[in-house]
Amino acid sequence: MSRPSTRRLARWALAAMLLGGCADGALTTALDDPEGPVAPGAGGAPFDPTPPDPAARDAGARGPADDATAPPAADAGPPSPPGNDLPPFAPQAPTLHRLTLAQYRNSVRDLLGDVQVPADLEVDTPLHGFASVGASELTISPRAAEQYEAAALDLAAQALSADRRAAFTGCDAPDAACTDAFLADFARLAWRRPISPDEATLLSTLAADVGATLGDAWGGVQHAVAFVLQSPDFLFRVEVGEPDPDRPGGRRFTDHEMAARLAYLLWNTTPDADLLAAADRGELTTDAGLRAQAERLLADDRARDALRRYFAEYFNLDRLDALEKDRELFPQMSETLGASMKAEILALIDHIVFEADADFRDLLVTRDTFINDELAALYFLPPVGADAPTPVTLPADGPRAGLLTTAGVLALNAHNTVTSPTHRGKFIQNYLLCYDIPPPPPGVATSLDGVEVEGPVTTRQKLARHRSDPTCNACHRHMDPLGLALENFDAIGAWRTTESGLPIDASGELYGETFVGGLELAALLRNQDAIAECVARRLYRHANGRLEARSEQIAVRDLTEAFVEGGHRLQTLMVALVLSDGFRTTGEVER
Amino acid sequence: MRRRTFLRGLLGGAAVSVALPPLEALLNTHGTAWADGGELPTRFGVWFWGNGVRREHWIPDGEGMGWRPRAEMQPLESVRGYVSPVTGLEIKTATHPHHSGMTGIMTGARYHQVGTTRDTIVTTFAHPSCDQIAAAHFEGQTPFRSLELAVCRFRGTDEGTTFQHLSHNGPNNVNPSEYSPAAAFRRLFGMGPTAPQIDLARRSVLDAVNGRIRALQAKVGARDRARLEQHFDSIRALELRLDTGSPQCATPPAPANDYPDVEGREQIAEKNRAMSDLMAVALACDLTRAFSIMFSTAGSGVIVWPAGARNSLHQICHDEAAPQPTVHAAITYTMEQLAYFLGRLRDTPEGDGNLLDRCSILCTTELSEGNVHSNDEFPILVAGKGGGRLKGGVHYRSRNRENASLAVLTALRGAGVPLPAWGHDAGRVNSSVGALEA
Repeated sequence: MSRPSTRRLARWALAAMLLGGCADGALTTALDDPEGPVAPGAGGAPFDPTPPDPAARDAGARGPADDATAPPAADAGPPSPPGNDLPPFAPQAPTLHRLTLAQYRNSVRDLLGDVQVPADLEVDTPLHGFASVGASELTISPRAAEQYEAAALDLAAQALSADRRAAFTGCDAPDAACTDAFLADFARLAWRRPISPDEATLLSTLAADVGATLGDAWGGVQHAVAFVLQSPDFLFRVEVGEPDPDRPGGRRFTDHEMAARLAYLLWNTTPDADLLAAADRGELTTDAGLRAQAERLLADDRARDALRRYFAEYFNLDRLDALEKDRELFPQMSETLGASMKAEILALIDHIVFEADADFRDLLVTRDTFINDELAALYFLPPVGADAPTPVTLPADGPRAGLLTTAGVLALNAHNTVTSPTHRGKFIQNYLLCYDIPPPPPGVATSLDGVEVEGPVTTRQKLARHRSDPTCNACHRHMDPLGLALENFDAIGAWRTTESGLPIDASGELYGETFVGGLELAALLRNQDAIAECVARRLYRHANGRLEARSEQIAVRDLTEAFVEGGHRLQTLMVALVLSDGFRTTGEVER
Repeated sequence: MRRRTFLRGLLGGAAVSVALPPLEALLNTHGTAWADGGELPTRFGVWFWGNGVRREHWIPDGEGMGWRPRAEMQPLESVRGYVSPVTGLEIKTATHPHHSGMTGIMTGARYHQVGTTRDTIVTTFAHPSCDQIAAAHFEGQTPFRSLELAVCRFRGTDEGTTFQHLSHNGPNNVNPSEYSPAAAFRRLFGMGPTAPQIDLARRSVLDAVNGRIRALQAKVGARDRARLEQHFDSIRALELRLDTGSPQCATPPAPANDYPDVEGREQIAEKNRAMSDLMAVALACDLTRAFSIMFSTAGSGVIVWPAGARNSLHQICHDEAAPQPTVHAAITYTMEQLAYFLGRLRDTPEGDGNLLDRCSILCTTELSEGNVHSNDEFPILVAGKGGGRLKGGVHYRSRNRENASLAVLTALRGAGVPLPAWGHDAGRVNSSVGALEA
């Protein structure tokens, strides 16, 4: 149907020769290209970047170049899992984790009660998909320090306001004996660990000095609270570890470090008093104590909020808040439609994980979902009479079931006016199968112009070049055939049977297995072994705030097994993760 | 300080567009310096847009003073006496299309890679960006060490700080650009003068924070020690702010709102006007001497609907059939936004001239052409006269693909930053473009 011009083909061939296509592994050269020495930050000390240790890189990622020896055919078979000869487990060095924006907000609310958190705070810089990974890399910039200072002064003023300070501090008057005890306890909660006598003295002295400067003892207490909230002990989760009595020569996280790890992973906020008390009793370095606390946390609504935040990042759903679609082509588009789409997916995940405690893979095939009126209209269903996501069972003979046919996933992975089978296929490979696809090589013209057929064409026809050109096909064969099965859903995720007046062909194939439409695709995907490993891998990455090293692949494999044996239930996976060495042990502090 | 003191109360209730001329009495008889002999300030800025240009519409005809703009520079005609196109240069440290160009032009070096997965490359700047080199030079002279504003909404990727931010202090240490005109206004003008006792109290708290940073540094690993050192520097910058005093510039009216989308259309020109106006006032009040405006990010997905685009700029760069008329229109539109900003500076009198006379602004992007991600023929404009250091209005065309760092060093020196060299490794240069210099 399409005949690529000779000139264009020649250009691609040349580009492939010079720069390396995706299939010949040349991309690895670019990725592993060691960068030059890293200079000091402005006025700062030398910054030691990620160590150039090959073992700490190549985080178990798989991609087209890994099966470069396979024939570049569509039926080359599924990507192979990491080999069975994995190196023994070795944890990575501990690191500081800066609080994410959500963690900061949740923490100050839990510490100070009902306060208005200032809006001017630095947004997260997500890396490798997660704010938690960015938080292990980023420092506190001058602007962030400025915002943290203003926020701390504002929050402390709210908490110590005349009508609230007695309740907040437990002191009727600013007597040092009372307020010093309050400050020490507040710092213990905010810093998530016991306070040393020196630190208690520092707080007491600061409050007294500032109180004298201002001629206002409460003002001194207020500024001491502001100090606690902009200290690195609060803004960073500090992890150093301690010798592990069960593993001579090895190290583990301390009880209080574990309290913070648990709380920020499962609740996305600061540990509560019970969790800190369990740490004080030494229970968080025992299997039984850890399990009991993990189960307690998972039974609380804060765990549901934390999981929503996690999956909003995992599937990139925050982008739905500012969804952009062409209003002329899609009159259904509104200011709220994107948020409605996001709410559907998060409600569905929440239902599967917490209410049903079901096999997580049901997410791909279930007819249960949660829609509001504008989504009902988009889905050609009767109104549900609510703006909030409302449980419905989708028609058994309808075209929708599960995540891949939600409007959110379909619209997010499409352009403004047209669908993108490539992006939809990439979503499946990246997020469900953890099969990474590299970007197009530099220097390659990616435009699909010059489809030499008369009259209207379908997206499938336009993408034919991806298949006919070997440079494109090396990667696109992993994406387009999956996304093409979703062509019955337009760029906003609404059902359609024609495109440009031509009938939609929704056939697709995955490693030799063919199917038609989103439901058959989802049914096939549900049974891919890679799904369980992918879910476990991403959770491991998020929980540790970094890419997993090669020496941690075995931990990911073990977690995957626990997940599968537990019936693919996500709560089981989370408890297994918390109890695993991958979450409890750490390496030596780098000197 | 004297500048801000004088401006206090001058403009109460006046429109932002009203210029802020220094009081004549504070200047010498020629209007070229402060009456006490101190020099009027010069400033360094960056104006950045994503996704490059269409080179057939970009490279001017003719060289030297006699150049004629092609379509994409046509909007700059109104300020052409201040704008020097530099063409034919290339990034010498290119290994990746978007990332290399971004770090190449902003740091004169390659990027620093953060971890390895196959689907994306995640990078950060290995070195401070050029605006922060200028900020370090001007540090302590103004209340804000530097000021970073953005215009078009961020359409996120997680490919690292290289793709998310413009201004960097170092690896993974960024100065995020402010996207909200209201928040930018609050930061610049929202805090009135405070009592000396309050400043003392804040100082005591910051001292205590520094003590905690030092205590933690003794416990953690080398990498975290460096991160904490940057936290320490950030607290030090706050303390310097306390030293220079809070801004006492007359407060212009607050922006009406944050210009939310109307019928799904981003209010690009309105936001650009609001941010340009705020920046002009901030510079006129001498609140900072190092600044950047990130009109759009590297690889930006902005939908330039006023130019007829219906899909993201990054996407149409990839997909639109040659000769890419919509991409071309979007770039022309972007240059209209730049022209507004530069015009705003030119129309703000200062001393015997105007603000643009006393600025040196690097206007650039992260690649040459979005459809092929090239790093040669890099789009660069140097705007402003740098207090007489730059001629303005000169087209310099390189015959032999010289290093793009030459233009950056020219712009930095043009602002009075006395740098012997700029860049690292293959990106390093120790000379500037003489043709641009007065």
